[in-house]
Amino acid sequence: MSGLPFLSIITWAPFVSAVVIMFCARHRPLLVRWTATIGTGISLLASLWVYWAYDRVSAGFQFQETFALVPSLGISYFLALDGMSALMVLLTSIIIFAGVFASWTVKQRSQEFYALLLILVTGVYGVFVSLDLFVLFLFYEIAVLPMYLLIGIWGSSGEVRPQGIFGRAMGWTGVGTKEYAAMKLTLYLLFGSAFILVGILALFVAAGSRTFSFLELQSIRFDPSLQSWVFLAFYVGFGILAAIWPLHTWSPDGHASAPTAVSMLHAGVLMKLGAYGVVRVGMGLLPEATVQWAWLVGLIGCINIVYGALSAMAQTDLKYVIAYSSVSHMGVVMLGAATLTEHGLNGSVFQMFAHGIMTGLFFALVGLVYEKAHSRAILKMGGFGTMMPGIATAFTIGGLSSLGLPATAGFVAEFLTFLGAWSSAHPWWLFPGVFGAFITSLYVLRVTRYIFWGPKSDDPHFAHLPDAQGTEWAALGILVFVLVLFGVAPGLAIGPIDTATVPLLERLAPLMSAARTR
Amino acid sequence: MTGTLATTLAPEIGLFVLAVVVLLIGVIQRGDQKRVVGWITGIGLLGVLGSTLRLVEGGSVGDGMFVNDGLAIFAKQLLLGAGVISILGSLTLGHASFSRRSAEYHFALLASLLGMMALVSARDLLLFFVAFELMSIPLYVLTGFLKRDEATSEAALKFFLVGTVSAAFIVYGISFIYGVTGSTAIDTIPRALAEGQPLTWLGMGLMLVGLAFKIAAFPFHMWVPDVYEAATTPFVAWLAVAPKAAGFVAIIRLYVAGSSASDTWLPVIVALAGVTTVAGNLMAIPQRNIKRLLAYSGVAHIGYMLIGLAALSDSGVAMVLFYLVAYLFGNMGAFMVVEAVARSERSEGIDAYAGLAQRSPLLALAMLIFLLSLGGIPFVAGFWAKLYLFLAAAEKGLYGLVFLGAVLTVVALYYYLLVARRMYIDAPVCSDRVRVPGLLGAAIATCAAGVVGIGVYPAPWVDLVKRVASALF
Repeated sequence: MSGLPFLSIITWAPFVSAVVIMFCARHRPLLVRWTATIGTGISLLASLWVYWAYDRVSAGFQFQETFALVPSLGISYFLALDGMSALMVLLTSIIIFAGVFASWTVKQRSQEFYALLLILVTGVYGVFVSLDLFVLFLFYEIAVLPMYLLIGIWGSSGEVRPQGIFGRAMGWTGVGTKEYAAMKLTLYLLFGSAFILVGILALFVAAGSRTFSFLELQSIRFDPSLQSWVFLAFYVGFGILAAIWPLHTWSPDGHASAPTAVSMLHAGVLMKLGAYGVVRVGMGLLPEATVQWAWLVGLIGCINIVYGALSAMAQTDLKYVIAYSSVSHMGVVMLGAATLTEHGLNGSVFQMFAHGIMTGLFFALVGLVYEKAHSRAILKMGGFGTMMPGIATAFTIGGLSSLGLPATAGFVAEFLTFLGAWSSAHPWWLFPGVFGAFITSLYVLRVTRYIFWGPKSDDPHFAHLPDAQGTEWAALGILVFVLVLFGVAPGLAIGPIDTATVPLLERLAPLMSAARTR
Repeated sequence: MTGTLATTLAPEIGLFVLAVVVLLIGVIQRGDQKRVVGWITGIGLLGVLGSTLRLVEGGSVGDGMFVNDGLAIFAKQLLLGAGVISILGSLTLGHASFSRRSAEYHFALLASLLGMMALVSARDLLLFFVAFELMSIPLYVLTGFLKRDEATSEAALKFFLVGTVSAAFIVYGISFIYGVTGSTAIDTIPRALAEGQPLTWLGMGLMLVGLAFKIAAFPFHMWVPDVYEAATTPFVAWLAVAPKAAGFVAIIRLYVAGSSASDTWLPVIVALAGVTTVAGNLMAIPQRNIKRLLAYSGVAHIGYMLIGLAALSDSGVAMVLFYLVAYLFGNMGAFMVVEAVARSERSEGIDAYAGLAQRSPLLALAMLIFLLSLGGIPFVAGFWAKLYLFLAAAEKGLYGLVFLGAVLTVVALYYYLLVARRMYIDAPVCSDRVRVPGLLGAAIATCAAGVVGIGVYPAPWVDLVKRVASALF
């Protein structure tokens, strides 16, 4: 390993380019875009290097960087990554790099748009590489807040219907629907972060008020009753971001209203942040509680899979279909984690990656379709395959991965998860999982057929539609390539994932056998 | 150690002289007094602030009636600092009556400040009460300063009535305590409490009610929104911080610091903290006037500080003091922006902020920073303040309160974000810049620097408040 602080470079390069954009690139849109490309490009190259250079044999946390921030409270800037976080960092880099290209056509206030997007992604990187819970929380907040402005300013209105108490509050204040979705999303996620903060403070106090370091906290055995409620706090807190049922309702509204790159980033990466938090912080620090609550996590995962898939089937707005399919796929992630088996956990982390790429691709495509056809209504569109063959092909590949066709990344993830579910303490989890995959194939094929491969629509608006152009190809090309690459060669990811999941399971193994004999 | 009279009382004497000078100028000078008086007050306050730096900790006067311990000195610096910022904001006030009667305004402000300074040092119930009244009465006058305005007069009357009742509670409570202990020294109270005399408890309870009015804890907050809405904004900025800081120091002295029976106050303070945070945050949601919104959110902030007090520990007290500093910068800054916008838009409605980010990006950014700080977002002062408070309460095991506070932070962010939405998302009604007078801009910049400075590097402030608080236990 060379001496460069790679993790800091990955994390802060987007931030630096955001600052540059804010101050140096006023009213020069092309310069803004190139600055963003360079910033995220640096992060992408560095994460590729880190992923490649990560030593899989010695495993553990590598590329460590420490710097004491507030010594009196034991807060330090402690970055490091293991196989799981390396994969997540790589995912983030790919999505944001593609996202920069996907939002090339943003016209209104593009400078601020890119700056916020890049600040957001700094927060995401930070969460994945921090090993200090406090700093992790700070980055988490950075990842959540810009979303409010990104959706509120650049989102699309008119296609979300406010409901429930939020609907009433919004009707009363008289705001548009993108503002509604933005506020709902922000409040849900901040509500989650309140849970996380309480959980972190409880562990900090229980550990003697001297350290927030993940590694030091990991070596402490907390009292089981404390673990029990702190785990639930983390599960709810991070779980909201992973769209666990019934706290998922922010996700379809938010994703459907958000601009393309933000949907990509949010569904592709930020939801993974939630799942990552549950696995890393919840399961990593609280082994007894993990074994105790695995049934709940798995059960809600099953509900997510089936409920999300059924909801996706009922939608007529293309973006809502994709958004609900994310809810369903995040259920697979949580289910895999709850199996507490090596296959299941590997499948869970693999699904985080596969779904991230896939859903990023989907949102990029929906954004393109909308830009060309100015519609997201599935039933109105039809026969686009002949006019935009490139987009149609990419959408179909994404769809096949979504329903878990072999040779795509989605297959590997779901297969491993189901394998883990079958060998776990609750084998029946397999059935909702497979049922969900079945419904997924129904709605994905239906949507694909309607829009791209079915009979041509009579609507004159859709008579002449261009295919993807210029930089748009870059986003699609990257994402499709990665999706197929990891489907054909899953070993690329399984190796590093193993370095994270095996130690986690080793810590859990004695507790699980104890639970079984009891 | 007892310093001489002059060295111990230097800031108070300076303040008194300053007040007299201001009053005399008011008598001599006719016409526009605003500039002269304002500058003299501002510079004078800076001088007094400088003199507090030289105060010796532990100096006392009058057999321990008046003591300059670390807490008192810290509080005095806080009060004076807030005063300077407020004066900076009011120098450019445009009202005609303000120019004409400027000396009155500044004299009342200085008199109230003198009362607060005495209050935070008082170790004797008699001095405590006199200081309390000296602090309060000028505040009523200042609230009703724009006397031709009906709403102002109404608010002033309301404030006066509520304030007088609270003073009555306090003096009634003092009478019981004197009856039991036969002494007016505050130091005798813990022993009397330990002996379990019910009348002492009654007396202390009555005093707590009186003080709760002053810090505007729920359900004693009802004067706050009207007063904030009606009075001149730079004064409100100071009113929202200084009397509350003084009130908190008094509560710390009487109920938390060093008294052996203090754990018995736990349920009372916990209950007060809980309802104040909930009520303040919920009532702020429907507000459409920014000053009323900040008033209710101010009530909520009092609740947060009470959460810290509920820890009844040195770290709890320390974090309340730290919160006060963060609150000073965040809240005063927000009010100064309100003043700037109100002056150019002639409106204090939230709608006046529509598209501010495109009209005056720096002003909008400053407001956003203040709101985020009040909301408790990382990298601005308010975040650390809330975090440390929760930490102190968590160490005491008050997880319920911590959880409540953390969840209500989200509620608070909702109404702060509503303002942010107006500024950043909504389209502007007109495109010309909001003109900010230089001095007002300086006040805003000072507050913004404070908020961001503490947010980025809180360690020295934390060390300071910890040192101050640990001396009390």
